[in-house]
Amino acid sequence: MSIVRFRRTDPHTLAGAYALDALGEADRKRFERHLSGCPSCAQEARGLGEATSRLADTLATQPPDGMRERVMAAAARTRQDPPVTQPARPAWPPRAVWPARARWTGRRWGIAVACGVLAIALVFGGMAFHNEQQLNQERARSRAIAAVLNAPDATMMTVAATSRGTATIVMSHQARALVFTAARLPALPSSQRYELWLTGRAGARAAGMLPPPRAGMTSPVIVSGLRAGDKFAVSAEPASGVPHPTSRMILNVSLP
Amino acid sequence: MTDSQPWPPPGRRGAGGPGAGEPGSAGRAGGRAEGRGSGDLGTLLGQVARGDDAAYGVVYARVAAHVFGIARSVLRDPAQAEEVAQEVLLDVWRDAARYDAERGTAMAWVTTRAHRRAVDRVRSEQASAAREQRAARAEVSYDVVAETVAARLDAERVRRCLGSLTDLQRESITLAYYRGCTYREVAVLLKVPVGTVKTRMRDGLIRLRDCLGVD
Repeated sequence: MSIVRFRRTDPHTLAGAYALDALGEADRKRFERHLSGCPSCAQEARGLGEATSRLADTLATQPPDGMRERVMAAAARTRQDPPVTQPARPAWPPRAVWPARARWTGRRWGIAVACGVLAIALVFGGMAFHNEQQLNQERARSRAIAAVLNAPDATMMTVAATSRGTATIVMSHQARALVFTAARLPALPSSQRYELWLTGRAGARAAGMLPPPRAGMTSPVIVSGLRAGDKFAVSAEPASGVPHPTSRMILNVSLP
Repeated sequence: MTDSQPWPPPGRRGAGGPGAGEPGSAGRAGGRAEGRGSGDLGTLLGQVARGDDAAYGVVYARVAAHVFGIARSVLRDPAQAEEVAQEVLLDVWRDAARYDAERGTAMAWVTTRAHRRAVDRVRSEQASAAREQRAARAEVSYDVVAETVAARLDAERVRRCLGSLTDLQRESITLAYYRGCTYREVAVLLKVPVGTVKTRMRDGLIRLRDCLGVD
């Protein structure tokens, strides 16, 4: 099965209709479920929502007389809802449980979304190739990523970083690998990059560097050589990479 | 596309033109330009969230014309439009603390709610078949008011950007946003496959986004 197949069913195509409120109730709910697990879809939905909002500029119409007074009076006797509060974050090192927002899903739908996202990220990545060698490397990487995404035991999770931003992980025990992508992580100075880690009983093993983001979204990275009981973590490190983590993890998750 | 509409639609030619505004109401329709850039509207919402009545008055002045205009466009009926506009504006007061700048601008937060509410109202009321017919017949006429220069420029820019879309993109977008049609209804109205409408909506909005320079 190729990645292309996922792109064809990619719920991304609903992003315009969603921004315009042109989806029926069922489609809308379905799309919103996708958004919660798809950082790049959420980012696009935001941009299209802003564009849609501007359409209202052409509609601004003087409200009827007295509306202001009626609204003000209603507000004066209406209690305001409190803000939504974040659940307390676990102290470092975190307990070996999922953060509140994290959830694994083995549902086909969820994986399909991830695949759509990752496929698009791959296409974006494709623009940066300079020569044949890079292209071949990229093809090999794409194949490895596709193998994880298409593995029968692939599960996906979306998790919020402790700093800012979200990460999407698709992992397969069978392939002993995971695919990682992130959106809207805090930008780093050019001297630094995000480094990925697998942490097991023997300590942390360097698992690769995250490429710098494009439009807030990092292209997918494959992490192989998973061992049973490993956790996956990310920290900001010197751009050349370091053998052991030197800063606090912005993401640390137990793998199922 | 067979039943294409002229652009701009006939009833909207006078938008923002002479006689459109009422004396003494300046500032009410001028939200966008002031709300953008400075990020003022977002800051004001923060104050509203802390129960600041005066800040709420300013927010009202900035967004009420947009909110009412959206409701009026989708619902047509002025009485219903006012009802929906009031509900939305009261929601802004009640839920101000839920506004999250990370997720978008304050104006988008408000207009999204207004449009959603208007669309929900219209869809809960009528069987979609009846509404499709009505939408097909509906005459487009807005007594659009853009009193401040800034608001007029904003509206003009949006119209210009809409004009740069293909007919199918533009009509898919305007039928959905200005009239509250679903993409399936738009497909019937424009006599094109639903898949085409979906992609035109997205492509068109992407173009609009880029033309307007929103992030």
